Amino acid sequence: MDIDDILADVSHDATPTETRELQELTRAWVAERVAPEILPYPERLMENVLERIRKQIELVEEQTGNMDPKANFRLIILQTELERFKFLVRSFLRARIAKIDKFPIHHLTDTSTISRLSASETQYLRAHHVLLSNHYQSSFLSQFPTALQRLDDTIGGISMIDAPDLDTAVFCRILRDLGKMLIEGKDREHHRELDLKRGEIFIVRWSSIKESVFAGDIELV
Amino acid sequence: MYGELGNKLVQHAKRTLTLPHLPPYAAEIIRSMIREVRELDRSVTSTLTSLGGSIDPSSDPATACQVLVNYLCMRRNKRCLLAYHRVRADRLEEMCWSGVDVLERSAAQRQEGASDAEGSSLSPEEEEYARRYGDLLAAYKGQWTDIDLTGPLEPPRDLFIDVRVLKDAGEIQTEYGAITLTKNSQFYVRQADVERLIAQGYLQRLS
Repeated sequence: MDIDDILADVSHDATPTETRELQELTRAWVAERVAPEILPYPERLMENVLERIRKQIELVEEQTGNMDPKANFRLIILQTELERFKFLVRSFLRARIAKIDKFPIHHLTDTSTISRLSASETQYLRAHHVLLSNHYQSSFLSQFPTALQRLDDTIGGISMIDAPDLDTAVFCRILRDLGKMLIEGKDREHHRELDLKRGEIFIVRWSSIKESVFAGDIELV
Repeated sequence: MYGELGNKLVQHAKRTLTLPHLPPYAAEIIRSMIREVRELDRSVTSTLTSLGGSIDPSSDPATACQVLVNYLCMRRNKRCLLAYHRVRADRLEEMCWSGVDVLERSAAQRQEGASDAEGSSLSPEEEEYARRYGDLLAAYKGQWTDIDLTGPLEPPRDLFIDVRVLKDAGEIQTEYGAITLTKNSQFYVRQADVERLIAQGYLQRLS
């Protein structure tokens, strides 16, 4: 947490859109990196950020010829900021791609998950899955007995479809007072009620706070 | 013995995970495994047909057990094969992401290894896969015009860095004019301009 976050907590409305977007992007990036499953794609945010990156690049290109030392110094700051923004976006997208690649069939079959991907990510997921299954087919599966050629078999007790573990523990910070919430344990005796107050940090199962994270009441750290 | 080859293959895959390069494709083991599966399948089919297509496990536990074991062996072989191919495919994807030209490298290896009949470390299917994945990646990357998705995943610290030239790389254009990169010279350049060259091994970053 840096000073910007603290300030934003105090006076949320006073912060300019630019700063808020940076915060949102950072938050999305952190969350994407720690959440076990893929999170909704922040379409509007990404559009704005990309638009601003593009404008900033234009500005930098315009001013490059300027030999005034003051302008030059400003340019270096601009470029540094630009590189950092680019890094955030890149790392964010890569974290998503890594998840997409890890559980392709799960993502394809689970409708709630696929709705969280952006159009280009969906396209990538489908194309990649086709590639991979063709690769398996041509390498060995085509020579197998037909009954064994499927990649998404669920008979015999073991499902071939790998899915993310929704019960992994995540660190999270409460953003709004949420009152009492029942956190499920592995059985009834282990159920616990937590009093979720703003600013507190918990380690809980992802599945039990997932909805609140989507609603923006809890953030992952 | 049933499953022994599968075990071998999984060990190969396991070893691949820790190796810096991709070892040769285990074509021989894979061919034998496919043969094993087909033989098992034949044995199951013949057992079943000799019994008229169905077995009653309670009246003939021995045959039922045999069929079950055969089935499980086939499924296990399939899992081993899938795991092996996935590990290698993942490695190929990783290479595509980091900008290594997989096909060029394998072609170079083939030329070197032509004398000792070593051949490429990739199977033809894998070469095809690498090529098509490269295309797919380029297509996906192309949608983000301003951001190089294959760039480094380390957070950037400095805009400018010191680099040393390891191999002659000719002249590059930067916003501050052209620089000629000759071997053993040292420059203070913008990181974004030379990232590609560092990844390709032309330049070395000095800390």
